[in-house]
Amino acid sequence: MTEKPALDLLQGTLDLLILRTLQHDPMHGWAIADRIQQISRDVLQVNQGSLYPALHRLEHRGWVDAEWRVSDLGRRAKYYRLTAAGRRQLERETAEWETLSAAIARVLRHA
Amino acid sequence: MKDLRLRLRALLFPGHVERDLQDELAFHVEFETRRLVDAGVPEAEARAQALARFGSTAWTADQCRDARGIRFFDALRQDVRYAIRSFRRAPTFAITVVGTIALGLGLNTALFTMFDAYVLTPFAVRDPHSLYQIEWMSRDRQWHQFTWAQYEEFGRGNPMFSETLAERHQLITRIEGHTVYALLVSGNYFQMLGVGAALGRTLGPADAVRPGGEAVVVLSYALWQRQFGGDPAIVGRTLLVQGHPCEVVGVAREGFVGLTLAPPHDLWLPITLAPRVEDGADVFGPDQPAHVGIVGRLRPGIGPQAAKAAVLTWAQHLTSAAPDDRKAESVLFESRATSIPLSPTLVMVFSPVLVGFGLVLLIACANVANMMLARGLARQREIGIRLTLGAARGRLVRQMLTESVLLAISAGAAGFLVSRAAIDLGVRVMFATLPTGFIEFVRLAPLPPDARVFGFTLVTAFATGLLFGLAPALQATRSNVVQMARGDFPGDFGPSRLRNGLVVAQITATAMLLVTAAVLLRSVQRVARIDPGFRTRDVISLDIRDPFRDRVLNALRSSPVVTAVAATSASPLEGTAPGVSVVTSERAELQRARYRYVSPDYFDVFGIDIVKGRTFTADEARGGAAVAIVSETSARRWWPDREAVGQSLQIVADARVPPRARIRRHARVHVIGVARDTAADIDNTGPVTSAIHFPIDSAEPGMGLLVRVLGDPEAASRSLDASLGVAAPGSLREIHKLQELMGVRLFPFRLAYWIAGLVGVLALLLTVSGVYGVLSYLVAQRAKEIGIRVALGASVSRVMALVMRQSVRLATLGLALGGLLAVGAVRLVAARLLMIDIFDGAAYLGGLIVVVAACLLASCIPALRAARIDPMVTLRAD
Repeated sequence: MTEKPALDLLQGTLDLLILRTLQHDPMHGWAIADRIQQISRDVLQVNQGSLYPALHRLEHRGWVDAEWRVSDLGRRAKYYRLTAAGRRQLERETAEWETLSAAIARVLRHA
Repeated sequence: MKDLRLRLRALLFPGHVERDLQDELAFHVEFETRRLVDAGVPEAEARAQALARFGSTAWTADQCRDARGIRFFDALRQDVRYAIRSFRRAPTFAITVVGTIALGLGLNTALFTMFDAYVLTPFAVRDPHSLYQIEWMSRDRQWHQFTWAQYEEFGRGNPMFSETLAERHQLITRIEGHTVYALLVSGNYFQMLGVGAALGRTLGPADAVRPGGEAVVVLSYALWQRQFGGDPAIVGRTLLVQGHPCEVVGVAREGFVGLTLAPPHDLWLPITLAPRVEDGADVFGPDQPAHVGIVGRLRPGIGPQAAKAAVLTWAQHLTSAAPDDRKAESVLFESRATSIPLSPTLVMVFSPVLVGFGLVLLIACANVANMMLARGLARQREIGIRLTLGAARGRLVRQMLTESVLLAISAGAAGFLVSRAAIDLGVRVMFATLPTGFIEFVRLAPLPPDARVFGFTLVTAFATGLLFGLAPALQATRSNVVQMARGDFPGDFGPSRLRNGLVVAQITATAMLLVTAAVLLRSVQRVARIDPGFRTRDVISLDIRDPFRDRVLNALRSSPVVTAVAATSASPLEGTAPGVSVVTSERAELQRARYRYVSPDYFDVFGIDIVKGRTFTADEARGGAAVAIVSETSARRWWPDREAVGQSLQIVADARVPPRARIRRHARVHVIGVARDTAADIDNTGPVTSAIHFPIDSAEPGMGLLVRVLGDPEAASRSLDASLGVAAPGSLREIHKLQELMGVRLFPFRLAYWIAGLVGVLALLLTVSGVYGVLSYLVAQRAKEIGIRVALGASVSRVMALVMRQSVRLATLGLALGGLLAVGAVRLVAARLLMIDIFDGAAYLGGLIVVVAACLLASCIPALRAARIDPMVTLRAD
C-alpha cells in the first residue's frame, strides 16, 4: 500500500494538513480538526466523515501511530502521533505542495 | 508491514477493531458536547448539536472500515456464513461434492506423499545436495563402478570433491533368523555424512584400515528397535554377519537409513570386512574387481557439469589402455540428496501415472461442476432477485466462488484423510497379498505427511474449488436480469453433448476396470485350484551359500526333524525351470519340455511316484550320467505306442543356451524312468506337464536344497534355521516352506486383481457421482416441462422412468464400449500373467451388472426429485 493517491487535491491536502498538525505533539481526532480550523481562521472546516477515514488510512500506511490514552475528560481516547516515515512524507508533501502552489500562482499571475 | 499487522488484527480480532472504532467516534461526539457545555449550551442541546455536526456515525464508520481495507474480510465472513447456511439446507449436495472431490484429491495426495518421500525429501545428512554418485559407461553400453585402487586414487587431492566415500552393493543377509540389508562402507562414511550415534559410536576411519580388519558393526535405529527391542546392552554384543562374528559398536541416530530408501539399510560394516562376509571376488584381492561405488561431496562453488566433465576425463584416462569397447564413453553423475533424483527421465517415466491421477481429479471436478450447474439453475430465482435488487454481479460470483472454495477446502481436509487411508490400505493390501516368507524382504519408506504434503493438498483443493466453481458461477449470473427475476431462463446452458460424453467415458472406464478385475479374480481362483501333484505341506526349500554346503548337508542329514534331503537346480513352483528342445528317435520334429537337475531323493522328498523304471543311482548323480527321467505326459507324447524306458533323447541346445551350460554336457541321454505328472511349472494354458529330470549330486555348487520335515512345517523351519545357525552360521540365504511358494505363484494375480479392483471401485464411485450430477442437472433444467407433464396427469412412475431412461441410455453406450475395451485390457494382462481366460463370460457379466446397478442407483435421487416436482409451484413461477 505505498501507491500515492492520484492527484486528489482534497484528500491529499487533508493528509498533508493532518501530518503537519501532528508535527509536534500527539493529538486525538477532535483536537486535530479543531486545530486545523483555528489556525486556518475557520476557513478550513474539517468534515469528520473525511477526517477519521483519513486518519485510519494514514495509520495503515505507517505514517502515524495510534495509541489509546486517558484524555483530559477521563475517558479513553485514541491519540495519533507522527512516525519517522510520516515525517519524511510530510517533508515530501510540503515540498510538492509548495511547488504546486507556486506554479498555480505563476499561472494566475502571468497567463 | 504495519499495514499487514493491522489487517491481521482486523481479521483475527474483528470485535476489538470494531469496538475501537466505535469508541473513537463516540469520544469525538462526547468531546464536542463537553466543549459546547463549557461554552454555556445546555447539556441536552449540546449533545444534539454535537451529533448533528458530526453527521452519520454509521457512514463515517463505514468509510473508516473502507480506509482500513477490512471490507474484504467482512464480505468474506458474510459469504462464508451464507455458504454454510446454504450447505445446511442441502446437506446431500454438500456431502456429494465433498465426497467426490475428496476422492480425487485423496488419491493425488497419496501419490504426492510417495513422490515427496522418495524424490523431494532430502536425506537427513550434512548438506545432502552436494552429494553425487558416480559411475561410468563403456562403449559396449555396460555400467561400471570402480576398483578399490581407483577409489583411493580418486579421493586423493581431488579438485572437484572435498570428500569421497566408498560403498559396496547392499548385502542381503540373515541376523538371528531375520533378513537384513547390510552395507559395507569406507571408514569415513558416517563422518562425511555427519551422522552421529544414538548409542555407542558409529564407524570411523580406524575401523577400515586394513582388509579383513576390525570386525565391527553399526545398527540402524530401526533395526535396533525392531529386532533388539531398543536394548541398551546391545553395544558390545557380538552378532554373526554371514557367519562372521562382529562386535556391535553402536546404533546410528534415529532416522538415518543410508543414502537410499530402496531398501533402507539395517546395518553398516567397514568395507575392509568384504573378504570375510562376501562370497564373490575379493574387492581387495589381486583380481581388483570394479565393485566399489563412489559417492563424493562437491566442493563449494563447483558446478555439477564441470565435475561431471572432470570425472569423464578421469574415467577415459583410466581406460586409455583398455580394448576399444571397454573404453569409457560417458559417466553417470547422480545426486544422492534424495532416494530418487528428480530428473527429466523420472518425469517422463511417471507422466502416465501423473496424467492418470490428474484425470481422476479432473473428472471429479467435471462431475461436481455439473452438480453446481444444477444447483445454479435451482437457485436461479434467488440469484435473479438479488441481481434485480442491485447486487453487483462480481459480488455474486465471489459469493458463489466462496461456496465452492469452502467445499473444496473441506474436500481437501477429507481428501487428506482419504490419502492417509489409501496409503494405509495400500500397505495393508501389499502385506496381505505377499506370501508370509517374503514379507521380511520388503521395506517401505515411512510416508509421513509433511509441510509439502499439506501445502500440496491445500493448493490443489483451492485450485479445484476455482475450477469446478468458476464456470457454474459465471453461468448462473450471466442471464438477463428481468428474465431471471421472472424465473425464466434460456433453455440451453453449455454443450450437453460434452457432459453426456464425459459420463459415458466414465462408465466405459469403470466397466473395463471392473470386468478386468472380475476376470483376474476368477483366474486367481483357477490357479489356486490347481493340484500341484506333489507334497508341499511338509517340504522346505533352502538357499545356501556354497562354501558351507558340506556342513549344511551334514547338519540336515543328522537333524531329527528332517526325513529326506534332496537338491535341485530349480525348485518347483518358483517358475525358474528352463525349457529345452529335444528330438526323439521316433519323430524328427523338435519337442519342448521344462527340465531340471535333481538328486536321486528328489522324487522321494516330494512323494512323486516313479511309475516306470527307476530313479537315479548315487553314482549316476555324482558322475552326471547321460540318463533322464521323463514325466508321464512326455513319455506318452514322445513314444505313444512304445515303452519310454530304454529310449533315448537327443538334446538340441539352441543359440539361447549359454556355451558352458550344464545342459550341453550330453548330446544324447537315455530314459531310465517315468515319473508322475506334476504342476511344478505353469504357463499360459495351465500346468506344464511335459518335463525332463537329469541327475545331479546334492554336493554340486549352486543347487537349492529341499527337505521333508516331521511335524509342523513352521516349527520345523524355525528349528532348522536355528540349528543351521549353530552348525554353519551364515550359511543360509533364504528358507521357505513350499506352501509359501504356492502363495508366491498366486501373488501377481492377487496383486493385479487388487489393483484393478481398487481402481475399479474408485471409478465406480466417480461414475455414480457423474451420473448423479448429470441427471440432477437434467431434472433442474427440465423442471418446468416435468411440471407440465405431471399437471397433465403423468404418474410418478412415468416421471421417474423419464429420468431413469436417460441414465440407461448413457449406461448402455458406456457398457458396450467398456466391454470391448475390457477384452483389450484382459489381453494385455494375459500377456503378463498366466492362465487367464480372455472371454470369461461370467466375469464379464458380473462386472457389467455391477456398473448397471450403480448407474441406476445414482439416478434414483434425481428421479425421485423429479417425481416430487409440484406442478403448482413450478408453473406458478411464470
